Amino acid sequence: MKKKQLLILLSFAVLMNGFAQLRTLEGKVLNEKSKPMVHANVFIKGTIEGATSDSLGHFSFTTRQKGEIILCVRMLGYAEYLIQVPDNKSTALVLKMRPDNIALDNVVVTAGNFRLKGNGKFGKMSAVDIVTTAGSTGDLYHSLRTLPGAQMVGESGKLFIRGGDSNESQTYIDEMHVLSPYTTTGDNVPVRGRYSPFMFEGINFSTGASSSEYAQGLSSILALNTKDVSPITKIGVNASSVGMSGGGTRAFEKGSVSVNLDYQNMKPYYSLFPGRLDWINPYQLFSGSSQIRFNPNQSTVFKTFIGYDKTTFVQQLTSLDNQATRDFGMKDDNFYLNSTFQKMTESGYKIFTGAAFSYKNQHIENAVIPADTYHDKEWEVHLKAKATKRYTDFLRLNAGIEDFIRHDETTYSNSSAVHSDSINHSIGAFFATAVLNISPDLYAELSERMEYTSINNLWNSNPRLALSYNLKGVHFSAIVGKYTQLPENKYLLLDQNLLAGQCLQYVGGMYYEKKDKVYRIETYYKKYTDLALQEPATLNSEGYGYSKGVDVFFNDRALFKNFEYMLAYSFNLSKRKYQDYTELSTPQFASTHNATVSIKYNLQSLKSILGITNRFASGRPYHDPTKEGIMNSTTGFYNSVDMSLTYLASKRVIIYASATNLLGRQNVYNYNYTADANSPGGYRKVPVIDSSNRFFYIGIFITLSGKTAYDVSNF
Amino acid sequence: MKTIKNYLCVLFFLLPIAASAQDLAPVVQSVNSAKDVSGLIQVRSQLERFVEAQPLQWLADYYLAYVDVQLSFMVPSKDEKSLYLGEAETCLNKLSGLEVPDKSEIYTLKGFRLYALIASDPKTNGPKYSGEIMSAYSTALGINPNNPRAVILSGLFKNDMAKYMHQPYEDFQKDVDKAAALFAAENTTLLTPTWGKSWVDFALTKK
Repeated sequence: MKKKQLLILLSFAVLMNGFAQLRTLEGKVLNEKSKPMVHANVFIKGTIEGATSDSLGHFSFTTRQKGEIILCVRMLGYAEYLIQVPDNKSTALVLKMRPDNIALDNVVVTAGNFRLKGNGKFGKMSAVDIVTTAGSTGDLYHSLRTLPGAQMVGESGKLFIRGGDSNESQTYIDEMHVLSPYTTTGDNVPVRGRYSPFMFEGINFSTGASSSEYAQGLSSILALNTKDVSPITKIGVNASSVGMSGGGTRAFEKGSVSVNLDYQNMKPYYSLFPGRLDWINPYQLFSGSSQIRFNPNQSTVFKTFIGYDKTTFVQQLTSLDNQATRDFGMKDDNFYLNSTFQKMTESGYKIFTGAAFSYKNQHIENAVIPADTYHDKEWEVHLKAKATKRYTDFLRLNAGIEDFIRHDETTYSNSSAVHSDSINHSIGAFFATAVLNISPDLYAELSERMEYTSINNLWNSNPRLALSYNLKGVHFSAIVGKYTQLPENKYLLLDQNLLAGQCLQYVGGMYYEKKDKVYRIETYYKKYTDLALQEPATLNSEGYGYSKGVDVFFNDRALFKNFEYMLAYSFNLSKRKYQDYTELSTPQFASTHNATVSIKYNLQSLKSILGITNRFASGRPYHDPTKEGIMNSTTGFYNSVDMSLTYLASKRVIIYASATNLLGRQNVYNYNYTADANSPGGYRKVPVIDSSNRFFYIGIFITLSGKTAYDVSNF
Repeated sequence: MKTIKNYLCVLFFLLPIAASAQDLAPVVQSVNSAKDVSGLIQVRSQLERFVEAQPLQWLADYYLAYVDVQLSFMVPSKDEKSLYLGEAETCLNKLSGLEVPDKSEIYTLKGFRLYALIASDPKTNGPKYSGEIMSAYSTALGINPNNPRAVILSGLFKNDMAKYMHQPYEDFQKDVDKAAALFAAENTTLLTPTWGKSWVDFALTKK
């Protein structure tokens, strides 16, 4: 009996199914340019009934469903398309799709912007690429100097971009400001970046007209993004001609913890390659860093980074005036903490909050004259919150607030006096950006940044307009924007009423990429006003200037197999009257022509990567007191041929060696003059040159854990 | 009356499950038999509909990820490769939260996807993902040392790495033989992954 009932039920179901009438759904799928879309997936939402469009965009399938249905169309790279189809309208449907948010959001306004890694379709270089660029000596900032826009200021090591001073370039890690991104070094020793390039997944270098999100950088912004959660546990060590380091990452289910310790001591190196400097105690650096990364779910990211380093050295310096020597003794403590939280909500908001703390404590013995001391303690708290949402295919909005709280206190003492100064101030800002997708090929960004500087109780408005147009694969960009930056602390300590320097920037460029070849050309004009000007009787904000030029970049990875070359050229004309300049002049750090040719060859048979870089810069202006005016003379040109070799000894051992200035040219960056009645013209002229003609580096990187390969990063 | 009600309840619960597995079966068979991009895209579309209609059916997400990885090997455009591999990652992340009979298959597919990422841009992605691939396969084999897909793909990757370093991989033959034996003995059903034998055939051409 039970079996009979079951049979009846099943038969009833089959009969009911048979009686339902078939309904045909048919039509065409088109893209935003009304062209047919092939292989689009068209189906009734929530069911498996559907079809794939053919080469003419045509689709057709049958269903037993009656009444109004929701038809869904999907294609990777396009936004899902939904349409309600009534019972009496199932044929001759025209379904038009648009590129999805990810594709839209990946298009960026490219003028003045290099996305070197990660973020977006233009990312081509990795940390290994950066380090294997000859002349970089494994340093991120040295590597960036091979790009157009960067000027060769070899004695400094800092970034000087498009005629701008080094303090006009700012560094951000995970969107939070870094107060002291450079190491502390001795006199005439170029600085390096504090953080290893291997820590970072995304490296975004803006050489001008940068986003309104970034503050207090008149020239350039280097925005670095740390790596996401590491899925693998690893341990690594490194030994080199300048020191050693070790660390590792422990991976958990939803996060990872990384630690790295680094010790550098230049004594062994100087004993082999003495150089021109005299060291009483050699340069020593001890640093430790750690990062916690936690993803509780797919839409939430939490990161905290802590870094501490201590630098000490005693360098014997000779005064130009009276030939007396002093032992310049440096003790520098630097601490950086950065904590960020990101979440994508179900309603499509991307929320970001962050807090960063930078601290620097520097003590110098025999700073200016024998037996004096100089002490500088500086810190900054940076707080930031922002939200981003794409409201429609046409509009994406981004808005946020941030605050920089700064403190600097200096004390100088000698046998006759003690002088202390301090400043406490904050910079509060609100910023908002609207990204408008006007058409599939035309994008616009409208943004505004309102800043309040407490030190002088002033508001600044910094609007920005950016346009990007894609013409058959060639991207054209144009940006105009206003930027402000407070003067350096050494001026604010003297006068807290100084205005923020202003820079109005115009940038236009073209970018084209095809088959591993990249072409870029950009032109720019920057107008500076309200710069700090030290006149004989006053310190005021009447400094001004301009900078204009053209940058050209070409990168080819397709000419020969395993071979890559890069050409970068910058032409810059800049003049300013600021600081102690008595007239409008070309700044001492600016050279008119800068060119770099860089090649890399992957010698697979030798398991090696060879890099050669040839850098050239025209002479820099300098002040000769025996002549009229200022910046009235020019040094000789700069040239350096650098080489690097990366040897993959095994999947766990990498050896890296580099040498700078192989030809041994003595490059002169500037001249210092000191009064000397016995010298011609009454002055003794001393060139500012490198501490040694060449610098050699060799390091071995060993991965101790078993589950990773060719990985020099402990993070 | 009560008995009829019981039968109806059982039917309502059992029929959809049996029906979904049966409906997916021909699609899974098509995955293994598709020869070109067009064929794979047709199968991909069917899998996408299954994922939409039956979000808890892990096999649909699993095979969608697998087909996306296969397509990334076959399409010439880097942008398209990136889209397929991006969707595969989304499917794999979703699988981490579903009830899956054998997690070893998920880790194997993760490694396979990373292998495709490296193939799409060896210079950039090789140093970046080599470690993760080895970790994924090691984890898969740690869960199930007799997963033939993990055995063959892990062996192929180690062999490729050794070749790049101009060194021999001594256990390559052992891995291939083991995988072949495991595939031959494998009891495949409608609800388990069945792909991968072709990689054994591919490995034999590398010897």
